[in-house]
Amino acid sequence: MERLLALWIEELAVEKADGSSLRSLVAVLDALVSVCPFVEPVRLGLITMPMRGPSRFFGGDEAVMAAVAAAVRDVTGHEVNLGVAEGLFCAELAARQRTVVPAGGTSLFRRVQPLATLGHKELTMTARRLGLVTVGEFAELAPARVAERFSRTVQVLHRVARGELHELPSQRDKQLLTRLRTARGEDVRAEEQMGFFGQRSASDDRAQAAAHRLRHRLGVDGVLVADVRGGRSPDDRATLVPWGAPRPPARDNAPWPGQLGSPAPTTSFRCPVRVEVLDEHDAPVRLGVRGAMTGTPSVLLLERGVRRRITWCAGPWLLVEQWWTAPRRRAHAQVLLETGEAMLVTTEGGQWWLTGMYD
Amino acid sequence: MSYVTGSVYSSEHMFAFSTKRPALSDDIRAAIRPVTLAKTKTLPVGEPWRSLLPDGGLRRGATVGVQSPAGWGGVSVALSLLSEASAKGHWSAVVGVDDPGVVAIADLGLDLRRVLFVPRPRGAWAESAADLVDGVDLLIVRPPSRPAHAAARKLMDRVRERGTVLIALTEPSAPWPLPVEVSLDVTNTQWVASSRLESRSLTVRVGGRGAAGRGAERVVVVPDRRGRAVAS
Repeated sequence: MERLLALWIEELAVEKADGSSLRSLVAVLDALVSVCPFVEPVRLGLITMPMRGPSRFFGGDEAVMAAVAAAVRDVTGHEVNLGVAEGLFCAELAARQRTVVPAGGTSLFRRVQPLATLGHKELTMTARRLGLVTVGEFAELAPARVAERFSRTVQVLHRVARGELHELPSQRDKQLLTRLRTARGEDVRAEEQMGFFGQRSASDDRAQAAAHRLRHRLGVDGVLVADVRGGRSPDDRATLVPWGAPRPPARDNAPWPGQLGSPAPTTSFRCPVRVEVLDEHDAPVRLGVRGAMTGTPSVLLLERGVRRRITWCAGPWLLVEQWWTAPRRRAHAQVLLETGEAMLVTTEGGQWWLTGMYD
Repeated sequence: MSYVTGSVYSSEHMFAFSTKRPALSDDIRAAIRPVTLAKTKTLPVGEPWRSLLPDGGLRRGATVGVQSPAGWGGVSVALSLLSEASAKGHWSAVVGVDDPGVVAIADLGLDLRRVLFVPRPRGAWAESAADLVDGVDLLIVRPPSRPAHAAARKLMDRVRERGTVLIALTEPSAPWPLPVEVSLDVTNTQWVASSRLESRSLTVRVGGRGAAGRGAERVVVVPDRRGRAVAS
């Protein structure tokens, strides 16, 4: 079972009428994606991320926790309770107790917890009468005896206590992802309206009229405008959408996760072009299992057999999609050609694509 | 319906074309005369260009030619010319630049809320540009092939008449067929790269009819480490 770092932010755990908890959570997630792309919101106030990768990257658990605590403090001004343990159930308990459970110690940690941590009042009362106080004592009951005596809910809790399940059914807010998406969307709509309608000027009207004429001439996809969803950080989610079209709901494929940083390509192909990347022996370069390339890219084969020598190459940067998408394994690389052009190529599933140009 | 009589609503005040019109003050009169406006007003540009352009900005009604071999930074140069005016609230449009990277454009300093993109006008680039001349203050046009003499003439005339700024982005193999007020030719490109691409120095030759330092070559860094255009 993987070790999880859990973040418990008490101030954000309560739903506020103005939606500020939700917005703060969005901001925290955005900030944490730079620490670890696999950040996962569990419910209001509770966030988890895997510990292994970031710990290796930052050089130890303490360094990761310091970075995370600083990020949360910067964004929300609240203190965060951090804890590390295996599985969501124990990770949350560890965070509430500000404990780092060493690798392999989770089972012991779980067994000494008071039974109330399973969050079932009736069970706690009944078990106390039986003389069972801790999770471990409850876990020692035979599953058959529990089944005889308790409801199905308690049977599930029993499996959690035994370490067969790693989270309580009540721990996760299943609506949270959808709500976070809406929170992102609404935030921007309010901002746009200020620009477009709040101080609408004559020049705005003129531009709209020209766009209207042009759409008539070229069709719906003829005129595009940038959809600056995400407001303060257009880096990751700004895309082009047809002018005047209804805004689509939050998209799932962020076209440009801002992980490479500036400068960004001036051309970002909507339909990437298939290319070949070869090493000095003309063998295709692939992305190895450990995230390194199998050879040094030396030749870029473009469409129609155009062959360009690569004079410099950087990457690969593994591109891990963010928490709202299904996992895909892709990597970016920047190449500089002998002709002076700089390009961004992306590999996925053994195939290379030209995704951007720095023109 | 009530019937209004009385001195306040006398017939004299009821119509907009009343003969008793107050004299306009001089500054208002200057502002509503479009010909004067087109000649005198310049739109601001960012720092690397301010010292290079003849009026320290983009003169309304003028055509600026940006010529660069493919992939040598022509798009960045053209867009960086818009950044200051765009940030000040002027509308701009980009015709014929396929799949523009909006992150790069935002980094250059343009206000994306006031930029219209026409990425693939197909055969209608000149007509599309003409439509946009009426609607925006700055217009980048990249013709898909060598532009015809007549189409270019027509567009430049229209731009002059409306007081728009036209930025014609071309490659040396298919140059803009008419002389322009200011021409910026990218003659060399040099990337600075360490563990990733960091910045690019472009050598730009300034020319054109009214250019101050005609034939001078300057080095401009675009994009720099933060994606902006700066003087080297």
